[in-house]
Amino acid sequence: MTTTTRILTVDDSPSMRALLNHALSTQGFDVSQAEDGMAALDWLAMNEVDVVITDINMPRLDGFGLIERLREGSRHRDRPILVLTTESSEEKKARARAAGATGWIVKPFDPAKLVAAVRRVSH
Amino acid sequence: MFHKPIFPPTGGVERVTVMQGQALASADKTIEYSTVLGSCVATCLFDPEARVGGMNHFLLAEPPAGLGGSSVDEHYGVYLMELLVNEMLTKGARKARLKAHLYGGANVNRNMMKIGSMNADFARKFLANEGIALMREDLGGTQARRVDFRPVSGQVRLRTVEDRLAPPVQPSARPARSLGDVELF
Repeated sequence: MTTTTRILTVDDSPSMRALLNHALSTQGFDVSQAEDGMAALDWLAMNEVDVVITDINMPRLDGFGLIERLREGSRHRDRPILVLTTESSEEKKARARAAGATGWIVKPFDPAKLVAAVRRVSH
Repeated sequence: MFHKPIFPPTGGVERVTVMQGQALASADKTIEYSTVLGSCVATCLFDPEARVGGMNHFLLAEPPAGLGGSSVDEHYGVYLMELLVNEMLTKGARKARLKAHLYGGANVNRNMMKIGSMNADFARKFLANEGIALMREDLGGTQARRVDFRPVSGQVRLRTVEDRLAPPVQPSARPARSLGDVELF
């Protein structure tokens, strides 16, 4: 039996959320969206998800904070979390990795590469 | 005030040219950003409370194959706009306080497709989607423009210039390092 992969995208830019929603939902993924780390935590408290894709620079709770909070508990300890960011510094990439990120994707994203990454980490 | 014209540069002002594909922001009162636009569009952002300003300069190409659905490369455009917003936030600005001006987007070469208009439409749509207030725009037409912007005061000086002073129409292609590369840890 095949089940639809559920994705939560976390980004404070409505324009970026629209691009992500289009790129992923047209490939058959079940896409939910949150506008920052706090909204993502609220949503995840009530819903199940297979993969989280998060930006880094966001108000209230940034991507680093979100990853750290999710890795603190047992429920999302092994959840694939992909970081999607304009950041190009090795230091920030290392910080994301240390916080427990599963992968690092540089914007502007290529929809085909993003979809391939999601499929790879969700199986 | 953001909408008032500025006086000519005086001593102690460092003029920084914003090139196509760049996004710069500053809280330094000695900086003046400057750019010349033909079909390109420049976005000026200003946070009046933090007294931080920034400018980008872009001309988007048609989307790469397989990324259809819009007339310009929205993925790269959103990326360039996000770079500018992030530069602003790094310098202490808040997104909710940002105010914007848009300049450029002229259709300088009448024989070409209206690439200036398409870029201007993208910029307007982006600001509307993001909830960033557009305070002033001077877009379209057929003449090149020169924009000088003081990031700390938000003051702008706009002049039309001879077309030959504007950079040639070479749409921004995605830089080789920004192809959406994926690294799994």
